[in-house]
This record gives sequence, C-alpha cells and structure tokens, in this order.
Amino acid sequence: MSTQAPVLMIIAPLIASIFITLIGWFRPKFSHPIAVISLLISSIASIQVFQMVLSNGPQQYFLGNWPAPFGIEYVIDHLNSLLLVTISVVATLVALYAKRSVEKELPDKLANYYTLFVLLVTGLLGISITGDAFNLYVLLEIAALTSYALIAFAKGRSLMATFNYVMMGSIGACFYLLGVGYLFIKTGTLNMTNLSQILVSLHMSQAVLVGFVLIILGMWVKMAFFPVHGWLSNAYTYAPTASTCLIAPLMTKVSVYVMIRVMTSVFSTEYVFNHLSWHLVVVAMASVAILVGSMMALSQRDLKKCMTYLVVAEIGYMVGGAWLGNPAGMTGATYHIIADAAMTACLFMAVGCIIYKHGHTSLDTMKGIFRKMPLTMLGFVVGMLSMIGVPPTCGFFSKWYLISGAIEAGQWHFMLALLFSSLVNAIIFFRIIEIGFFGSLGSETPDPHEHQDVAVKEAPLSMVLPMLVVAGALIGIGIYTSDIISLVIQPLISATF
Amino acid sequence: MIWQFDLILLTLVVIFALISLRVKDLMGASIVFGAYSFLMCLIWAGMGAVDVAFTEAAVGAGVSTVFMIATIYNTGRMIKPRPQDMSFKLLMMLVVVITGAFLLTAVNDFPEWGDPYSPVNDHVAAYYLTHSMSDTAVPNVVTSVLADYRSFDTMFETAVVFVALIGIYGIIRRRRKQDDSDSDTDALPPYDPSESLIIRQASRMMVPFMQIFALYVVAHGHHSPGGGFQGGVILGASLILYSMSYNLPTLFKKMTEKWIILLSAIGVLIFSGVGVICMMLGSNFLDYSVLSQILPATDSVMARSHAMLIVEIGVAFTVMCAMVGIYTSLASNGRFDKGL
Amino acid sequence: MLQELIASYNYIIVVVIMMIGLWAMLAKQNLIKKCIGMAIFQTGIILFYISMGAKKGSTLPILEHAHDGAHHAVVAAHYANPLTQILMLTAIVVGVATLGVALTLAQKVYQQNRSYHEDKILEKLSK
Repeated sequence: MSTQAPVLMIIAPLIASIFITLIGWFRPKFSHPIAVISLLISSIASIQVFQMVLSNGPQQYFLGNWPAPFGIEYVIDHLNSLLLVTISVVATLVALYAKRSVEKELPDKLANYYTLFVLLVTGLLGISITGDAFNLYVLLEIAALTSYALIAFAKGRSLMATFNYVMMGSIGACFYLLGVGYLFIKTGTLNMTNLSQILVSLHMSQAVLVGFVLIILGMWVKMAFFPVHGWLSNAYTYAPTASTCLIAPLMTKVSVYVMIRVMTSVFSTEYVFNHLSWHLVVVAMASVAILVGSMMALSQRDLKKCMTYLVVAEIGYMVGGAWLGNPAGMTGATYHIIADAAMTACLFMAVGCIIYKHGHTSLDTMKGIFRKMPLTMLGFVVGMLSMIGVPPTCGFFSKWYLISGAIEAGQWHFMLALLFSSLVNAIIFFRIIEIGFFGSLGSETPDPHEHQDVAVKEAPLSMVLPMLVVAGALIGIGIYTSDIISLVIQPLISATF
Repeated sequence: MIWQFDLILLTLVVIFALISLRVKDLMGASIVFGAYSFLMCLIWAGMGAVDVAFTEAAVGAGVSTVFMIATIYNTGRMIKPRPQDMSFKLLMMLVVVITGAFLLTAVNDFPEWGDPYSPVNDHVAAYYLTHSMSDTAVPNVVTSVLADYRSFDTMFETAVVFVALIGIYGIIRRRRKQDDSDSDTDALPPYDPSESLIIRQASRMMVPFMQIFALYVVAHGHHSPGGGFQGGVILGASLILYSMSYNLPTLFKKMTEKWIILLSAIGVLIFSGVGVICMMLGSNFLDYSVLSQILPATDSVMARSHAMLIVEIGVAFTVMCAMVGIYTSLASNGRFDKGL
Repeated sequence: MLQELIASYNYIIVVVIMMIGLWAMLAKQNLIKKCIGMAIFQTGIILFYISMGAKKGSTLPILEHAHDGAHHAVVAAHYANPLTQILMLTAIVVGVATLGVALTLAQKVYQQNRSYHEDKILEKLSK
C-alpha cells in the first residue's frame, strides 16, 4: 500500500469532507472525529512518503497511470516531502485544538466548518505535492475558496476583510494562471519537469520572461509580500480562532514554496540569478517588507493583530532569503518555511487560548495573564523566543543561515533588517512580559483586587496540549537542525546551485 | 473563423465590458455582463472551442448573471454618485497601464495565431488527438482528456464547486427568527409572479424540455459537445427557472435544502469513489482500465469509456446542486423561505 | 497584412480585456462592480488560452469514427486543440464558484452597512 501513499494523503481528507457533510447533516458532533482521523491518515502517509524519499530519492506517482507529460504527475522530492509532513502534522494538531474553540464560536456550523477545514488541508497538500502547473492552479483555488469561507464564518468585520481577500486572492490566482499561459504558449506542456527541459532553450524569449514575472507576482499577492500585504492583517485578525491557527501558518508558507519551486525546478537558478539581474531589487523589497511588518506590529495594541503583522515580516525573511542567490540564503529560506510554520502555529494557538478564556486580546487587559494561564503563556514564550531567534529554538538557525547568506551576498541592508526584526520581536515580547507579569504599563494605581482573581483559569487541555506539542517541536526542530539540513536541504541545494 | 466576424466581435466585447462597468444601474450592469459573456462564447465557438462556448453560455451568460440579479434583488440596485479620490484612481490606472504594456511586450514573441504546428498545438495536445480513440474509444477528445487523461483536475474542479456551495451556505445561512435583528427591513417586497400567467406557463413548458436536453448532454458527451458540467448547469438552470417563475417554496417542495447539500456531496463521492475503487483493484488512483475486472463485458479500453460516463454523472449531480444551492442562498438572503 | 493584424489583434484584445477587469477590481468602489471586473478578468484569460489553441482551417475536436470499429488515421492539425479547452472548462467553473462566494460576501456586507460603496463601508467600520 505504501506505493499509494502519495495519493492517499490527498484523498483521505477529500473523502472525509464528503462524509462530514453527509453524516454531519444528521449528527454534527461526528464531524470532528472524522476530520481528525482523516488528517491522521494523511500524516501517517506523508511520513511514509518522507521516509521513502530519504531512502530512495525523489518519488513519482502517475495519476490515472498516464505517463508524465500527458497525465498529471505527483513529484515528491526533498523540497516538498518535509513540507508535506509539516502541513499534515500541523493540520492534525490544529484540528485537535479546534474542537472546543469551534464549539464555542460556531456551534451551529460544525459540519460545514470541518468540511471546509479538511478540504483546505487537501488543497495545501495538493499544491505542495503536484508536478503539474495547471493542477497547482486548481488546488490553489480550492485552498483559496475554503480559506475565504473559513474566515468569513466569523461574520461581523471579517466579511469586508474577506471580500478584500477574495479580490486580492483572485488577482493572484489570475496572474498565476496567466503566467502559466505565457509559458504554455511557448512550450506546449504543463508538466513542470517537461517545462524545465523545454525552457532551457528558451531563455531569451520575452514571453517566457513575462510568464515568469507573472507567476512570481501572483504568488507575491497570494503570500502578502510587501506592497500587496494590505489584505492579510484584517482577514487573519477577524477570522475565527481555529481558522487563523490553520491558515496563518500554512497558507502563506505554501505560496512561498510555490515561488521557490518555480524558481528552482521550473526555471533554474542560472536563469533567475544570472540571466535576469534584478534579484537584488527583490532582496531590497524584502528588507522593506521586514521593516514595514515589524513597525506595524510594534504599533498595534491588540495581540492577534500584532501577530498578523509579524507574519508579514516573516514573509520578507523567506522571499529575501530565496532571492539572495546563494546556497546559504536558499537553505535559510527553505528551512524557515518549516520553522515559521511551526512558530506561527504555536503563537496563534497561544493567542487562541487567550481568546477562549479571556474573550479578546487587547494588550491593555492582559494584566496578570501569566499567573492566570501559565501553560498557555509557556507556549507563547517559547514561540516568541523562537521568533526573536534565541538558541536552541529553530528560529535561531533559520536566522543564522539567512544572515550568513546576506553577508555572503553583500546585502547588508537585508542583514540589518533581520536584526531589526529580532529587536522588534524582543520589544514586543518584553512588553507582554511587563504587562503580563507586572500589571499594566505606566503608573496606574494597582488594583487592590488583583491578588484575589489570579486563580489559574487555564484553557481546556484539548487546546493547551496541541499547542505545547508544537512548542516542543520548535525546540526539537532546532536541536535536529543539522540533520534536517544535511539530509533534506543539502541534496536540494546541491541539485539547484 | 471568418476574420471579419472575429474583428467585429472582439471589438464589441471590449465595448460591452466597458459599458457594464460604466452603467449606474447594477441590474443593467448585470444584464450587459450577460450579453458580454454571450458574445464571448460566440468568439470561442468560432475558434472551435464548442465545449467551452457551451459551458460559458450556460455558466457565464446564464447562471452568473442570475446570481448577480439575485444578489442585487435583495439589496440596492442604484449607485449613488459620491465624490471620488482621483489620485487613487490615477495610481491604479498607472499600475494597470504598466501591467498591460508589460504583457503586450511579449505579443510579438508568440507563435503565429492559428498555426497548427505551434508548440501548444503540436506537443501534448497532438498526442491526445491521435491517441484518444485507441486509448479510450471516445471520439470527443475534450471529454476523454477532461474525464480521463486529466481527470484528477476535473475531480478537484468538482470539489471547487462543492466547496463554494458549502462555503456560501455556511456564510449566509440564518436560522429562522434568530438572526432577524440585522435583517433587511427595506428590502423589496416578496417576489410574487402569480400575475404573469405567460411567464408561468411558458416556464412550465420549458422546464421538462430543458431537463431532457440536459440528460442528453450528460449521456451523449462522449460523442458530441457536452458532458457533466454543461448538463449539470442546464439541470440547475431548469430548477432555477422553475423557482423564478413560481417562487422558492414551490421549488423546495420538489427539492429540499437537505437534498441539495447531500446530493452535491454524493456527486463528489461518485467521482472520488471510482478513483478509490481503481486503487482497491490494485492500480493507481483513477486508472479506469482496471475497472474491466468488475464491469461486465468490457476490455480495458471500454472500461475507460464507461467509467467516464459514471464520473460525468457524478459531476452533473454536484454542479446541478451547487448552482441551485448558490442561487437559493443568494435569492432568499440565507433564509430559505422566501425570495426571488 | 490584414491577416497579420488579426493575428496580433486577438492577443491585444485579450490584454485590453484583462486590464479592464483588473482596473475594475482595483479602482472601482462598488463591490458588485468589483465582482463584474473579476469575471471580466477571468474571461480575458480564457480568451487567451482559447486563442492559443485555435488552428486555421480546423474543425471541432470530435474525431470522425466509423461504427464498425475501424480507426481512421487522425491528423492532429485538422482538429482544434482539446487541451486548452479542458483547461478553460476548469477555469470557467472555478470562476463561477469564486463569483458566487464574492457575491455572497457582498450581499452580507450590504446588509451590515446598507451600502455597496467601499469608502462608505470603511468609514462605517472605523467608527
């Protein structure tokens, strides 16, 4: 059965979504177990595929048994095998985490919610695994449509935010489709491997250049890279807790993956960095993205909104690293996809726990939060330390590779932007420590009742436990960094540079 | 492909697009958009893409326009002019002009229009044309590529429609009486077409013919333009027509909310189920040829042909229910009792 | 000469249509107009793909076949390109799904704010 593992990991959530709808119409409470089971199957299959890739090298799977350029093909290599594991495992943990939160926020929509939840995971896994440029577009739209709905379920202010997200998301997807069209008109194929073989002789073509730019632009819109980052913050802030926890860590990372995939597999580093000479402009834009994201995060008075701007800054890390044009930068960018998925998941899960017990996340009202929710804040601290880049968390190592890449390429502004971002993260962290431990900022008179209502009011275990697992994973990934780099990322880098 | 026609149609399409964006009445804009879509499908039919033209006639000119009208019916239709921020508009204009100019730089690099030996027409597409008959025994190559060579795309395309239905349903659904506080007090009065005898009788006569035609389109998609999508949209459109000429409760007597959701899920289940059966029989997902082991009196080629029909039926189910479901959600504003 | 003009005219119109759509999505204030712009952008892309798959002097991609099972040799150049058509069938369906979601959101936003005008809605929300 292991030869069917690549497709099984996509199909399990898809079929689960159908049964959630069918059974959930009559018995909504069965929706959650079905979703969790299907995601577990998916995780096991993805780990199996990962092991296959590690021992036997890249794997192929032909859907419908049609040979490669005629049918649709799945290609699993070092770049996406680890990403697949990350997506499926994070999604499983978020699904476990989601139970109580969804029951509280959307009690009458359980079946609809979990249907879309597992379909979003299907879409994300499908984008990461496919070797066909058009199949990628279809799955991109599945992931996009499900995330629109998952965000808009919150009603209220999320509706207008989602509408803007729909507009930007469609522009991104349309640009991608158009870019694929420009490549298709010159090559006549949609299979990525076949495309890259034909494109080697077409480096001088203007249509290919336009196609490349359009695909990259489309992905930038999708991942909320600097000039087009406006939609992200509101959409993620006003979404239901569980939706943010699933979408914020995974959606943007998958777009970054697509960008790297197009740069390295469809095109080549030779084309991107030597033939086109504007990759350093992109690095400069990435520096600006990091600065803007960090500044905006610093100016927020709401924790969840602050975190969404940190996501914008993190996108700058990955785009900048990927476009530095040297192995260290690319290593940092690919490693950071995994690390950042775990970090963002951890932080948003902690924020979700606070929302569950506390109702909202305005910084001013978080007095004594450390005593009230110690476990939640433990997870939050680990996540934040990783964001700052304190060893042994994984955030340190990705920053290490990114900074050494920046020095190697002589891009001092990118290095400074990375350090600045760490500094800002540290400031945000200490601000929360200050409020959470020592009461509010400024010289407000201490509340006499303060010591009476600090009884531990922790979020339910089903929420805290998955978060702590992710927090542990942050340290785990950090400790096993050298293995990840040598086993997974090194083969990839040596193949592309 | 008579170039004089193409020239006129292409120009008209641009004009219609501009008009539908200029008109101050949203209802008018939707109607002009419908006309735009219809012109578009004439162009595509002229280029030999009948299946696409067929789908666009049903989806773009038909159902999309109805969706827009249903949306506008429950809200306001006139745009009140407001002072506008011209600098923002100019900036956007600049962005669009630069993007357009950039796109145009590549036009000279394209292969000549209509060249049968350009890469697009010669590489993978030529394989489909020359092998469809021997691989799958389906003469309509569009169907064989859609439902077999690239069936995985089609399965997810069906899933996209399903996602849209579930998503819209979840966003807009209101439990009766509970959420009426934010309801639309100044919405138009309930739609009552009982006065218009002609519309009622004409629609009543149209509906069965539409449905029979839709079944033909689904079943005969192997040999003529059409297939699950087109058939499904026409089936959906016939139900929409029925509900527009009477009213929503009449439609719900024939087909309840529950069946709309369940049938749309069953459609996806049929498609993916066929794929899973292929896996259980020991081959790859959606490799129909192994179905000859369980389908009586078929070889591996005919098994592909038959499996495509099964799959298309699944697609038709999902698309029909999604179209009806989205329409009823929009028309009743999520209350599913009264509306357009 | 005229034939050549037609050849590139096709692609020029494609770009013009797409840019009309993009402009409406970015600059129009009315939510429904934005939705129409999105649909126009998508049809522009579909026209692009169909244009590249067109062949002069070709017919529909439905093969002639004899009922006795004998296969004629198929000359690919005689039939229009099926692949671009399948891709665009998918794109149309995806397009209508996105349009449906966008219209639903627009309708709900209108209910909350009594307006389709973006600035007015943002003013109301920021209060």
